[in-house]
Parts: sequence; C-alpha cells; structure tokens
Amino acid sequence: MTFIKSLFAKSEFIVFLGLLVVGAFFSFQSPVFLSSFNLQNIILQSSIMGIIAIGMTFVILTAGIDLSVGSVVALSGILMATMLNSGVNVALVLSINLVFGITIGIFHGFSITKMRMAPFIVTLATMAMARGLTMVVSDGRTLFAFPESFNYFGAGKVASIPVAIIIFLLYAITAEILLQKTVLGRNIYAVGSNIKAAALSGIRTNRILTFVYIASGVSCAIAGTILSGRLDAAMPTAATGAELDAIAAVIIGGASLFGGKGTIIGTVIGVLLIGVINNGMNLMNVPPFWQSFIKGAVIFLAVLIDSIKNSNEEAAI
Amino acid sequence: MTTSALELKGISKQFPGVLALDNVSLSLQKAETLGLVGENGAGKSTLIKIIGGAYKASQGKILLANREVVFNSTQESLEKGISIVYQELNLIPHLSVAENIFINRLNQTNGFVNWKKLYNDATEILSSNGMADINPRAMVADLAIGQKQSVEIAKALSYNSKILLLDEPTSSLAGPEIQNLFKIISRLKEKEISIIYISHHLDEIFEICDRVQVLRDGKNIDTVAISETDTNSIVSKMVGRDIEDIYFKEEHSIGENILEIKGLNDHYLKNINLNLKRSEVLGIYGLMGSGRTELLKAIYGARKSKIESIKLNGKEITIKHPIDAIKQGIIYSSEDRKSENLFFGNPIWKNISYLALQTGSFSNYNFIAHGSELAKSKDYYDKLNVKAPNIEADVYNLSGGNQQKVCLAKALINEPDIILLDEPTRGIDVGAKLEIYKLIANLAGAGKSIILVSSELPEIIGSSDRVYSMANGQITQEFIGEEINEKDILRYCLQKDDFGVSA
Repeated sequence: MTFIKSLFAKSEFIVFLGLLVVGAFFSFQSPVFLSSFNLQNIILQSSIMGIIAIGMTFVILTAGIDLSVGSVVALSGILMATMLNSGVNVALVLSINLVFGITIGIFHGFSITKMRMAPFIVTLATMAMARGLTMVVSDGRTLFAFPESFNYFGAGKVASIPVAIIIFLLYAITAEILLQKTVLGRNIYAVGSNIKAAALSGIRTNRILTFVYIASGVSCAIAGTILSGRLDAAMPTAATGAELDAIAAVIIGGASLFGGKGTIIGTVIGVLLIGVINNGMNLMNVPPFWQSFIKGAVIFLAVLIDSIKNSNEEAAI
Repeated sequence: MTTSALELKGISKQFPGVLALDNVSLSLQKAETLGLVGENGAGKSTLIKIIGGAYKASQGKILLANREVVFNSTQESLEKGISIVYQELNLIPHLSVAENIFINRLNQTNGFVNWKKLYNDATEILSSNGMADINPRAMVADLAIGQKQSVEIAKALSYNSKILLLDEPTSSLAGPEIQNLFKIISRLKEKEISIIYISHHLDEIFEICDRVQVLRDGKNIDTVAISETDTNSIVSKMVGRDIEDIYFKEEHSIGENILEIKGLNDHYLKNINLNLKRSEVLGIYGLMGSGRTELLKAIYGARKSKIESIKLNGKEITIKHPIDAIKQGIIYSSEDRKSENLFFGNPIWKNISYLALQTGSFSNYNFIAHGSELAKSKDYYDKLNVKAPNIEADVYNLSGGNQQKVCLAKALINEPDIILLDEPTRGIDVGAKLEIYKLIANLAGAGKSIILVSSELPEIIGSSDRVYSMANGQITQEFIGEEINEKDILRYCLQKDDFGVSA
C-alpha cells in the first residue's frame, strides 16, 4: 500500500500513466499506432528532442532556462555542413562541434555567474545571435550531401535499432546516473533548491551553473549531429521552436521551473508523451493548426495537475 | 499645561506561547518627544505595531486626544493622524520624491496626474518641515540615505499626522545626517507634533527626547524625564532582569590560540582583530546591524573582505570561498535556516550530508556511497536527538528547534575544529535551547572552538568563556571572566563611534 502511495507521489509515475492513457486512446483510434515500426518511429522522432531536453533538464534543475537550444542546434548543423562540404575530416568536424557546444555553455555560464545577467535574457540573446549566424554562414540556403560516416549517427542502424535511439538512451542513462549518483549531481540539485545555502555548504555555485549550461550546449551539438545526419541536410531554419518543446517536456516530466526538482526519467517520459501525441494526431489526420492547440492544452493540463498536487502538499502542513 | 496626544492603558499582546507585551501603558503629550528603549525582544516593535494598527492588542485601551479608539488596520491608524517611519525605508527608487510622498494619492484631472499641483504640494511639505534642500523632482534613487529618510518622514507628515513614530531612524545614517534629522525633529516639535523615538543609541535619546520609557521583557520598567536620569541608570533598567536558569556552562580547560585574525576589513567591518583558543566558547554580542553576522561570513570566506593575516594553529592560511574554510576545519552555521542553511523540500539525511560531501566524504571518484552516507547521517541525527517521524522526513515540516539540530548535525558531521554559530537558538523553544547550550559546552569540552553570535545577551553570558562586544562594524571591547556582565557589555554595544573617519 505504501509502495503504491509513494508511486503516486512521484510526478514521473503520473506522467507515465498519462503516457499509457494517451497511448491506449491512439491505439483504439488507429490500428497502425501500436505496430513496432510506428513505435520505433516515435522513439526515433523523440530522440533528437530528448537529447535537447536532457540538457534543458540540467539547466532547469538550477532554476535556469536555456532559450538558445533550437538556434544552437541549427548553427551546429550549418557549421558542420560547411566544414564537411569543404572536405574537413569527419572526426575533426565532430570534435570541433563538441567544442562549439562547450563554448556556448561557457559563454552562458560566464554571463550568468560573472556578469550577473539573467539566464532568460542571456539565452534569448544567444537564440537570436545563433540563428542570425546560421543565416549568415549558410547564406539562407540548405546545405547537404555529407559523407556516409557522418550520416551514420542520424541514419545508421545497429542490428535494426537506429543509432540515434541508442545514443539517446545511453545519453539519458549517463545523465541520470550523473544526477542521482554523483556529488556533482547532488550539487546541481542543491544549487537549484537553495543557492545561498549551497554556497555556504562549500559548493562552488558558479562552477555548477556553468556546468549545466555546458551540458545544454553539448546536448545541442549532439542533437545537431543527429538531425543533420538523419536528413543528410543542414537547414538554417532547423529546430525552430525546439526550446519550447524541450521546456514543455521537462516541465511535463515533473521538473519545477523554480529549480531543485526533476529527473531525467521524467523528462524522457515527457518527451515521449509529446512524441506520442504528435504521432497519434498525424495518424488520425488532425489538422496541423489543431495539433498545435492540443499540444498546448496538454502542457497546460500537465502543469495544472502538478500545481494542484503541490498546493495540496502546502495545505497539508 | 500639557495635553495628552496619545495614551495607552494596560496594553497586553499575547502571541501563541509568548506574552509579547504585558500590561504596558504609555502617555505621549502634545509636542513631546518620547524615547522608547529596550533590548532586542523587549516588545518595542510589537508596541509600535499596535499603535500603528498592524496588530490588535489582546487587552488594553488606546486613547487618542482623550478619546478611545480602535484600529483595525494600519490605514485606520494613519487616518487618525498616526504615521510610522520604519527602520527599513519604504520608498520606490525609480520614482521622484514628490511621487513617493503622494504615492497612493496622486492628484488627478480626468485620470491624468496633475504634475504641477503634485510638485507644488511636495515643495510645500518639504520646505515647511526643514527639508527645503530636497528637490521634489529628484529621483529617490539618486538621493543620499539621509535625504531618503527625510522623504520618508515627509511622506508620513503628508497625511497631516499629529503623531510620528520613528523606529531606529539613525541605524543607517552618519554623523551630519543624524544632526540634520535632529533639526527636522525640533522643527516638528515647534509644529506641536508628538514623536515616539525608538533607538538603541542612548546618546541620541538624551539629545532629543523629553522623556524616556524603558521596556524589558514586554513590561513597563520605568518612564523618566531625561533631565532626571543618566545613561547608566537607563542601561541598568534595560538589562536588570533575573537570568533564568536555562543556561549551561561546564568547566573546561582552555588551550592555545587556534585562530588568529589581524586587520580584517571590508566596506562594513573595520579593522577587526580577533583570536580564538582551543576549547573556547567565544561570544560575540552586538545589536542589529553591528556587523556580527558579516564578521562570521567574512572569516568563512562567504563575504569579500581584506585580511592582513589569518593564522590557523600558527600557520598562515587563505580563505577565498567557504570550501577553503571547510577544508581547514572551519564551519559556519547560518542563523537564517530557511534561506541560507537548509534545503527545504529535501529529506533530513540529504541536508545533513551536503556539507560533508563537499570534502569528499562518502564518495569515490565523485560517486556517492549512499550506504555510508545514510549511516553517518543517521548517526548524527541520533546524536543530536532530532525529533522527526524518520530521517526521510522533509526538513520543511520540522519545528524550528529540530531544524536547528539538523543544521548543527550538518556542521558537525564533518568534525570541524572551529564552529562559527550564528544565532543557533533563534526562534526555538526553551527546551531545545537548553539542549543546544549543552551541546556547545560538550563541544568545547571535547576540544572544539566555538564562536557564538547571539542577539540574546543572557545567552552569550551564560555560554561564553570570553566575549567581544561589537558596534558599527567594529569590535569595541573584550570581556574575560568576571568582566562578563550585561551592563558593561551592553554599554559597549550602544557606544557610538565619534562619527570619525573609518579606517
């Protein structure tokens, strides 16, 4: 009994139930929905958003926000495409791309900790700057035709499982272990829960904050690699609006925008829920305009449930 | 002949578990300035809040110009001509002086502000109260702190107040600004405004008040004419209480110097020299704003400061961040449990182990060994006798006393040599206090050194081997052995420096 009670106390479990309910609904509406091909497709579609959302989870755990993710994914894609098209070695391109993600993170961390700028504003600025650079570098055109070895990460398969899915799952597991099992992870929660108490407990809060923005930047770089590889193309408009989907997934997954609360498993379920809704509505031929409305309504509902649950906790005291 | 402006008769205020005011009476004459003094917790603020309508008295009457009144809100008190200027200024920095004075009563013509009338009215109020040097169009953010205070007073007077309550008005003012405030006050006297002046600075009370009323432990102690008393007599009235037998001190032999600090300075603290011995409980007492918390934080590396020399066991060390102090065996436990010490929403065991995790306890290559973490946390949870359903309970749900024990467990689990305790008994009940006093004595007995900061003087006296008094960011005196008594310590805390140039 207490076990079941404690399950229901976890936001992750509630979202998981939501995922099952929505899944059951779509499986009645469309026979294709439960086919292994379609399920794999959902996870594949979700993997890019998932990787971005994992980085976003780190940031949101510290009560921060990273609005730049969509633009950074696009810029990462365009930068790699430009290098690949001028014949730079794939391994080198991948490494430079990771350095690019780290640099974005350091820039955000520096602005937020040393320059004392608000995360919302800093990353809003980067969002515009990165998108602008994407246009400048690509001249507004889509770049394509990459080496096979590069596309492997987005389009390749290992024993019929897409490499993208494997990367997503490994990334999620690594992130969750880091958050739950290491001192670094504990410190990330501490900073989000009470930054003053964290500093007085000896935590170097500036380093922690910089780390989470680096995690987000690196996530974007990985997502950029997979996205370009899957499409064999880098578009300057790629991942537009991805920041909103990523934030929605993290919040649906039970994280709090005030920091200190959330898990990777929650985020993964949140991403899958959004993925299932997108996929199911496509199968049901829901018009795109309504799709957007319904997605918004789901986000609203998820946050509402969480808010009601939390206010009950307050009232109980 | 005098006429009564305000009279309180037998006011009592009961809070859950505390009788904050016990049958307090007060009378204020027209054009009189009455000083109100007492230690922290004597009931001054409660009294002000009752006069201002923020609290309702549990018992007693308020008479305004000999007519009984009841205030249900601060608004009602304001409408009857009573204004309060609080210690913390309540101005909006990005609005003009005039807008601040008339903040919720801007003159309007068809929904638009009548700026000309606004500025005229503001000029009128400022100049008639001796504040003609303030430009009503100036932005409040650009004013000096003393001028801001004046604007706050002007705002209070703009309600045509006949009674003005000033709560620690000089706490953030420097010499000339204080003199200017006194000029304004004498001007108000001429206008037959009655003032209740609350301050820790007795010299100010003696300079501008007609009479002074002393409160202690929520009771009226005495009200005397200024001409018939002196500082010593007031101080003994403020402190002359029976120290209840809730303090606990054990004989222990004090060792060599363990910590020596020379020339600690920052923009608030001035040339602090301090030493702490092994097995010693060193008390630091000062009134609010004396710099005691700032001092602890500066030692701990949580506050930017310049230190000429800091020696631990005779060796020079550097502390740039709390982690440096923690690694040297120095730990600070903040007075503000909610916003600076505990992680609300997290279980007790996590709160206890946070600090230890930073020094590499319970981890291998950054991976937490949860078993030993939980076992050690449980160990300290038991040692400190934390009362909670279990160690998984959210610290948010614990009582103040138990939260404080979790704070101490968090500090002690790392087995520090030096513990900086900031108000460890703030807001906790007597039983838990006694446990904490015993713990402090035991720690000292076991060879630990403790710096204890408290705003309760009897607590400092009851627990400390040696005491420093602080005022205005400076250590004003050291007290050892027999010298440790309330009267002398308080005297050195009330002492004002000569408004001299800070070093």
